[in-house]
Amino acid sequence: MNKRILIWILSYGILTVFPFLIPLFITGPYVTHILILTVMNIILASSLRLINLSGQLSLAHGGMMTIGAYTSTLLVVKLGLSSWVALLLAGLLAAVIAGLVGFPFVRLKGIYFAIVTIFLTAMVTLMAQQWRSLTSGSYGIYNIPRPDPIVIPGILNITFTSSVNCYYLVLVIMLVSLIMLYAIEHSRIGLTFRGIQQSDSLAESVGVNTAGLKVLAFSIGCFFAGITGGFYSQYIMAIAPDTFGFLFTVYILIYMTVGGSGKFIGPILGAFILTILPEVMRPLKQFQPFFFAGVLMLVIFLMPEGIVGLPGRLKTIAGRLFKEQQERA
Amino acid sequence: MLKLKDVTVRYETAEAVRGVSIEVPEGSVISVIGANGAGKSTILKAISGLVPLYSGEIEFSGQKINRMAVNQIVDLGVVQVPEGRRLFPYMSVMANIKLGAYLRRDKRGMMADMEEVFRLFPRLKERSNQKAGSLSGGEQQMLAIGRGLMARPKLLMMDEPSLGLAPVVIDLLADTIRTINQSGITVLLVEQNASLVTRVSQKCYVIEVGRVVLEGNVQELMADDSVRRAFLG
Repeated sequence: MNKRILIWILSYGILTVFPFLIPLFITGPYVTHILILTVMNIILASSLRLINLSGQLSLAHGGMMTIGAYTSTLLVVKLGLSSWVALLLAGLLAAVIAGLVGFPFVRLKGIYFAIVTIFLTAMVTLMAQQWRSLTSGSYGIYNIPRPDPIVIPGILNITFTSSVNCYYLVLVIMLVSLIMLYAIEHSRIGLTFRGIQQSDSLAESVGVNTAGLKVLAFSIGCFFAGITGGFYSQYIMAIAPDTFGFLFTVYILIYMTVGGSGKFIGPILGAFILTILPEVMRPLKQFQPFFFAGVLMLVIFLMPEGIVGLPGRLKTIAGRLFKEQQERA
Repeated sequence: MLKLKDVTVRYETAEAVRGVSIEVPEGSVISVIGANGAGKSTILKAISGLVPLYSGEIEFSGQKINRMAVNQIVDLGVVQVPEGRRLFPYMSVMANIKLGAYLRRDKRGMMADMEEVFRLFPRLKERSNQKAGSLSGGEQQMLAIGRGLMARPKLLMMDEPSLGLAPVVIDLLADTIRTINQSGITVLLVEQNASLVTRVSQKCYVIEVGRVVLEGNVQELMADDSVRRAFLG
């Protein structure tokens, strides 16, 4: 038993430390950018999974990221707030807006919920385009300052002028987010989310306030989208209304589904593989989208539970083959 | 304990329940018997607050409950074991039982009740880590009842618990219902299976197309030719 715990700590320790070491071996702005995108996508896909855990398919993540990005940007640029406070408020505002629109939204189920969340993303984009006095419309906002340096006099002075430090920052955000998401999933609330996912009428008859908890799941998931959106605008130092549109949102959904929404590790794997893969496939040039689509089709047809379902599937296939062979012999 | 006064429930324009009055005294096992589509499940849903009343009134322990939210009604101790042994199929037996106690805050009492449920259904303890969907029909029904008991009901309502179960399992079910009743829980049983009803309950209401057509002592009703023909074949 003790040995198992040791292995567990060791493997998670390595998994946690490893991403921090990558920039020591591979450098360059291009690689760093891809790494940052990967980490962002992991946060997004994992937080989307929390909403999915309560039986809802949300496509509001793009809109929530836009809200987060503009909130953090405007607070820093127009009000001169600290970038850290702005980042937190970005997440909170996304959560609050999700909470408010959530109440009418969660009355809809399945695909209908997904459709209104698409509208939400589209509406946020439109608002950012049209509210020119605040957002400067389609021009977007440029020269957004990078996150404020973390200074403890005499001990610590971390600036975020280099992309590598931004990578470290987003990595820390990811770790904190994943720990929070994991804790929520394994709490009583998480158990209730699952109950709602499997049968919301039954959950209701047990006494669960299903509407309220669905809104809660939606709101928590959107909080992380808001934070990620805010971070991205600070890292890229620019934001435009259509940076995180419908297509971007669909990609997050694909990361989650391909990785497998059944297990916590699923969206992490999905986001990792599907962010890195297209970059590796760059030499294929114009055929790259075909390749990407091909991978998607393969996963959907061969692995309905996503990549995380693969070991189990291989086991059953191997078992079947073994049995056939035995029967032949 | 529970009183339905002239309750009418409408789905869109169709009347599923018309002017039904039922009384469930404390400590009793009362049955509602009727064919498919007679409106039995609708009555239970109306009591649980899952469907709104068109007219009439429902009273529990002297308190009007027909305007309350579902979770408030559960909190009062009115718990339903829904039809078709509805469970959370991809969750473990343990998780299903825990969710049954969703509204409870007393950890110690919950643990004690869990022990009680496992004592009542030892099979569930053996399979506590198994997915609920992988249990046999009888075990699933027991889990559904166990989950209902975890809410510490004063009134337990069961919607066709005998549906699709083998006669041997129905015997076990009858014993279980009696045990539950003896522990002080009032039971409202909705059934098509007259043999289960005759074994456990004292008073019975016969429902046809949304109306109570007969009511009275189970023994007397079963002596009635028309009832026997309808429900005993």
